[in-house]
Amino acid sequence: METQQMTTLVGVLDQKMNRQLKQYLDICARCAICKDACHQYVATQDFKYLPARRAELIRQIYKKYFTKTGEFVPALYEARDPDENLLDELYESTYACTGCRRCMYYCPFSIDTAWILSVAKAILIAAGKGNEMLGQLADAALFKSDNFEMFKDIIVDGFKDIEQQVKGLTGDPDAEIPVDKQGADILYVALAGAHSILPAAVIFHEAKVSWTLSYFEAANYGYFFGDAVKARKIADRFMDEAKRLGVKEVVITECGHAYRVAEIFHEAWSGEKHPFKVRHILEVIDEYITDGRIKVRPDAIKEPVTYHDPCQIGRNGGIFEQPRNIVRALASDFRDMTPNREQQWCCGGGGGLVAISEMDEFRIKSGTIKAEQIKATGARIIASPCENCRLQMEGLNDSMELGIEVKAIMDLVLEAMPLPGSFAKDASTD
Amino acid sequence: METFLNISAVYGVYLSISVFVIGMSWRTYQWATTPKSPVRLGMFPKPKTGAGRVLKMLKDTLIAPQSARIEPLMWAFAFAIHVAALGAFIGHGRLLHEFTPLVTWLGEDGMNTFAAWSGGTAGIVMLAAVVFWIARRTFGPFKQLSVPEDYLLLALLFGVIIMGDHMRFVGTIHAATYREWFQSLLVFKPEIPAEILGSSTGWSLGAHMLFTDLFLIYFPFSKLVHAVGAFSANLVRSE
Repeated sequence: METQQMTTLVGVLDQKMNRQLKQYLDICARCAICKDACHQYVATQDFKYLPARRAELIRQIYKKYFTKTGEFVPALYEARDPDENLLDELYESTYACTGCRRCMYYCPFSIDTAWILSVAKAILIAAGKGNEMLGQLADAALFKSDNFEMFKDIIVDGFKDIEQQVKGLTGDPDAEIPVDKQGADILYVALAGAHSILPAAVIFHEAKVSWTLSYFEAANYGYFFGDAVKARKIADRFMDEAKRLGVKEVVITECGHAYRVAEIFHEAWSGEKHPFKVRHILEVIDEYITDGRIKVRPDAIKEPVTYHDPCQIGRNGGIFEQPRNIVRALASDFRDMTPNREQQWCCGGGGGLVAISEMDEFRIKSGTIKAEQIKATGARIIASPCENCRLQMEGLNDSMELGIEVKAIMDLVLEAMPLPGSFAKDASTD
Repeated sequence: METFLNISAVYGVYLSISVFVIGMSWRTYQWATTPKSPVRLGMFPKPKTGAGRVLKMLKDTLIAPQSARIEPLMWAFAFAIHVAALGAFIGHGRLLHEFTPLVTWLGEDGMNTFAAWSGGTAGIVMLAAVVFWIARRTFGPFKQLSVPEDYLLLALLFGVIIMGDHMRFVGTIHAATYREWFQSLLVFKPEIPAEILGSSTGWSLGAHMLFTDLFLIYFPFSKLVHAVGAFSANLVRSE
């Protein structure tokens, strides 16, 4: 590799350097306590997935270029250049990581390996080795906003189709899916497809709130790809919309990374405070049920239900109890998995992995622990408020014959709501 | 022996303590002056108050309950060596000044017996932990993950401990004599007592100090900076 390129890559590390990263790179004792925290390492026993090893690759560059001892005695730290070999290893370790941060939970120094790997992604991108699929998906999202007029009518037509179903379910001919509504209280950011729009639209209608639907989907492949600028621009699409419409809060649909991007990353990326609140749809629904603004039939679901905490919503997002409250309000047999909440095992589908087809086999294998956990509950329904988690668990369901139904929490809420047109729900939620 | 002791137990002490203090201050200064990540890296659930955060940080740093849950044996040895090292460090305080209240309470002989037991226990616990760590690093993923730095530090620690234990269990020189030597260092009029020079234990002291010097000199340039960094890294956990 050209010296020029190596200098560039070291420059990327320098540019991304901050106190936390520096400390993480300085203090890791390589005790490997993180070994059994990682579902990928536990399932494969493959060294490259050991969290400390993933971070060690960045540490090797750091030691060589950012510390005097590493510069003079590189052998002491196995310090090395960001050459082709290192980058190839780094690619495998980095893009495989789901960013669940379970290793950080168990680390005695709370080293955030996922944060180190976000810098690894920036280095890989600078070397032209970013994951192609994730990069393309990120560019597609930006293409949509850059050429919005081209897509606007198609998008709105799609919303109109869903609106018909909302009218049917609520029995209200005036029910609507408001778009671009100035002064609405809530801007709801959904995913592409009816499944994340319809139930929310019904719930907002029944709760009689003033809301509007974003033109743009919440998913952020710029974040998975590891390009902070693209990620910010993708989130800007609905953040700018929220500012323009003057909403009081932005509500993110049942999607893990989108919530964390909106709630935690976006303000830091854009350098300004949001003039509105950011909440997850489950916080909102829990509030509606508690306040009696929507009704759900207790015991509407008789089959045993379990709940999977998506990493970006639970451990990394702080939403633990609201989804459990909702499920308990409508299901007679709720069973938590062990371990759960902040100790929960990643399902294996995060980090954009479900979009990378060459990782399919590995991804399913890495979900072995999750599959065992689900089996142990004896539940027939697994609810989880994250699209990637649901896709992964559907994969696990198929390949390991778990015999479960994978659902979004909103789907369960819709089933449990006494609606005049609820006979139509089965045909409409998928 | 005198030359050896002059190097390791006199000039080495001055050099290593200087390098350690300046090195750690520099490292801490570097951390403190590097801008913080604009992104909050904390994880949930997190304490709501500042005091709660500090308490959680102290608990995570000093007890590391999560680590205990995932690998109890590793945690037990790690916890034991840190506690034993702290105990040994406090015990070495006798070099500065005799623990007079303890002597008053236990008597001269009682104090020496107490020191023999407590110091001996700490010495054995630390030795066991270092042996465990060396053994752990010789197989499987631990071996793959280890770099020369890890073995160098363990070797230095092993040297410090084994020579300390030798002085504790085999040597016959008591604290008062070592205190004479250490006090002379403190007033910058270094002098090694004749009792040490005349005893074979002098070699043990020399070796103990040589390993300690090297350990302290390397400390600020190694992963051991977690002694300071772990506190702030754990504080970030509840940001």
